Amino acid sequence: MGNVLFIVWRESLEAVLIIGILHSFMKRTSGDAAKGLRFIWSGVAVGVALSVALGWVTVEIQDSLQGARLDYFQTAMLFLSAALMTQMVVWMNKHGRKMKKELESSLSSAMSTSGFWGVSVVAALAVAREGTETVIYLYGLSLESSGAGMAVAAFVGFVLALFTAWTVSRGIRFLDYGRFFKITSLVLLLSASALVVTGTNRLIEMDFLPSLVNPVWNTSWLLSGSGVIGGIISAFTGYRPRPSLMLVMIYALYWVLTLGWIQWESRVSKASSLAAVPVSR
Amino acid sequence: MKLIYPVLTIIMAAAGFSAATSSAADEIPTFHLTIKGHKFDTETLAIPANTKFKLVVKNEDASAEEFDSMDLSREKVIPGGKSAEIALGPLKAGEYHFIGEYHAETAYGSLILK
Repeated sequence: MGNVLFIVWRESLEAVLIIGILHSFMKRTSGDAAKGLRFIWSGVAVGVALSVALGWVTVEIQDSLQGARLDYFQTAMLFLSAALMTQMVVWMNKHGRKMKKELESSLSSAMSTSGFWGVSVVAALAVAREGTETVIYLYGLSLESSGAGMAVAAFVGFVLALFTAWTVSRGIRFLDYGRFFKITSLVLLLSASALVVTGTNRLIEMDFLPSLVNPVWNTSWLLSGSGVIGGIISAFTGYRPRPSLMLVMIYALYWVLTLGWIQWESRVSKASSLAAVPVSR
Repeated sequence: MKLIYPVLTIIMAAAGFSAATSSAADEIPTFHLTIKGHKFDTETLAIPANTKFKLVVKNEDASAEEFDSMDLSREKVIPGGKSAEIALGPLKAGEYHFIGEYHAETAYGSLILK
């Protein structure tokens, strides 16, 4: 029972936390918060539907060819999620800076619709990724033990995940602007890098990438990656105790490209805002 | 337009590469694990190091299990009554732990690569 509660909590936490961040971002910066929230919740609804569909497909799979197709699909989903989340952080930072300026000069602004769509898709993919496993888990559980206690435990686990995310999102709402963006950006980028890690391992397993040296080092004496804390750290940062050389290289490449992109964007927007202000003589 | 030639070369090389690996796939040694009563039937499995291998995990329980190994960098959900193929290696010698994430207190084991 406690196990069911914990697994549902653990599986829902990531998606719920990402949605919590999107939610507090909308509340905080959007000129039209209600519209932004509608985009988030429709993303969540699509994500739930996708979870049930993917869970059903997984349970109904008959042969290894279908299994391979599902693997391709899920791997593509991982990289798409990582790319969109990274792009969203860049967008949030740019938008956040602009919003702050406009709020200070008491101008109201509506977010661009493309930005809203991005948020919606990120929410849908976050729910679908974690939700699929939860659907399969709960379905199997219902076959094995038809106890109302299990359903209650699963429900409590989900509510606890909501509560955890609510606490976090409440907490970060009180931070000042600069810290709010730094912390939420870091959490989202780390989650995206963890998706890149999972996706890269899938590509290695499918033989699209060689592992080169495997493992290249072993830090399981420091943090094994299993257990409660290790599991959560792995899910949110991409940590692996015994990574392959290929994995380390792709992980490093992700961070170099991402940080380079953010640097470049901030230089561009700084340059353009300087150009917009007429120089006083 | 000139870009199309390097792109074509890469695609053809990739196709050749995957054809080569799929023909080699037939000779890949396969090892079996069975989950029953939320336990793995074998808790330590000896496997040769530095070579590719395949792990076939059969879940004989009604409920789902997630084969999860941080050491091996693999996670795979296996619905009740299904089996999953997990491609692994080449791996250096050593002990690699795995668990059934949904029943971690009973379902665990390790691969010993020698």
